[in-house]
Amino acid sequence: MARNPDKLTLGWLLRHPLVATCILLALTIVLPYLRVGERLKLLTFLPLAHAADEVNATAYEELSEDERLRFDLDRERQERARLEAENARLIDTLRQNAELRGALGFESVTLPASVPAQVIFHGDASGWRHCCWINRGTDHGVEEGMPVVAGRTLVGRVFMCGSDHACVQLVTDPGFAASCLIVDPQTPALETDRRVRGVLRGDGSARPHFPRLELEDVAVGAEVREGMHVITSDYSGQFPLGLYVGVVRETIPQAGFLQVRLEAGLDLVNLEVVQVLMHKRPELEKQALALLKRK
Amino acid sequence: MAYAHRAAWARSQGPVCRWRIIVGSGISLAMLQAMVFTPERFGDFTPDLYSIMALYFALFASRHGRYVPSLALGLIRDFLSMGLIGTYGVLYSLLHKASEKARGKLDPDRLPNILIMAVAGTFLVNFGYHAMLVVAGDGIGWSNAITRCGCIAIATGPFAVFLYPLIHFVLGRIGIPRAAGGYWNI
Repeated sequence: MARNPDKLTLGWLLRHPLVATCILLALTIVLPYLRVGERLKLLTFLPLAHAADEVNATAYEELSEDERLRFDLDRERQERARLEAENARLIDTLRQNAELRGALGFESVTLPASVPAQVIFHGDASGWRHCCWINRGTDHGVEEGMPVVAGRTLVGRVFMCGSDHACVQLVTDPGFAASCLIVDPQTPALETDRRVRGVLRGDGSARPHFPRLELEDVAVGAEVREGMHVITSDYSGQFPLGLYVGVVRETIPQAGFLQVRLEAGLDLVNLEVVQVLMHKRPELEKQALALLKRK
Repeated sequence: MAYAHRAAWARSQGPVCRWRIIVGSGISLAMLQAMVFTPERFGDFTPDLYSIMALYFALFASRHGRYVPSLALGLIRDFLSMGLIGTYGVLYSLLHKASEKARGKLDPDRLPNILIMAVAGTFLVNFGYHAMLVVAGDGIGWSNAITRCGCIAIATGPFAVFLYPLIHFVLGRIGIPRAAGGYWNI
């Protein structure tokens, strides 16, 4: 049978649905390992973030004197309201922190040095992922995987990092996971072996403020009550010990483990200033040594 | 006769404004999804307008090389989101194949059919996205995913009923010819 020479071109081959689907599937598997996609996304998003800054600057310069004064006044009022809200939140966080420290003897736990950063962009083009962008990157010492906090409350971790911008994966993102401890602020510290452990997983929660999170793999029979606090554990080395996560709201027995629902300790939507902790996951050997020392 | 002549002429022409529409609508809708239609504002009932646009292309764009625009639309969304690159590209390509079959059974120029196809299409795209999350080890549980995809589909369907006639109107106004079978030459 004679072949149609018009069809046997590279263009036709690449446009063929089956070939293109196979290429895409292969890319889906290969690209994450090369981290090409993440870097491309970073390059795509940076002009947008810069553009947002430029719009504000240009608009201000074009204003008249009166309008500028009014604009400044509004901005100061907004700033004052924001600082008041932030202050209230921080006071509450400090109170909770003091409770936790008092109850568990975490006085000796000091957080690593941090880099303050401003949140410049919230949101993701897909409705499933939860992230925000901050104005600090590798130039400021930020690296991928570093924890991001507000005060002592966990916000997420650095997912991608550019020279002066970084993408933060929030605790509500489905890909987020962290080893956690459940502690009761009313009772004295428990021995290390008796602490209730669990794995915090983001579930893409769509609750607008103070989102619901889930703690999985909590041992059946563990004493978990509403109102208990959840903090990060340094078991995996990903996060430092004692970062506040949220409050237990509900426990659901599952086959073989206990599912714990908690309310996050922060309103993630209204975050404006965060801190990136200069905490790097220790290498395997160091982690093993630390565990041995503890035993 | 005039209609047949116009349809034959449209078939003989290459697609008009295809890439401008793809890139323009893709980037603007991705920004809209990231900044306005966010889960923080709308909860589980967050409309997925991007999938509506992809479905529009799958249903109404010129049949010549329609697969590539669907793929490009998906890749634009992939680049502007945190997930794996190619996820939406593959999903919108599959949506294009599925909608071609559905088009034979349901007339897309009737509003109830648009609603049905938009709800089903959005549900499948989001469920497929969750399946890709599961492959990456980031799933949220199948029952949760079904509920969430259902909510998104219910929130998105009514938008299609208003948006599709609006897009038809705009394309007609800018002088893009419509071929036989209701396909626009884009």
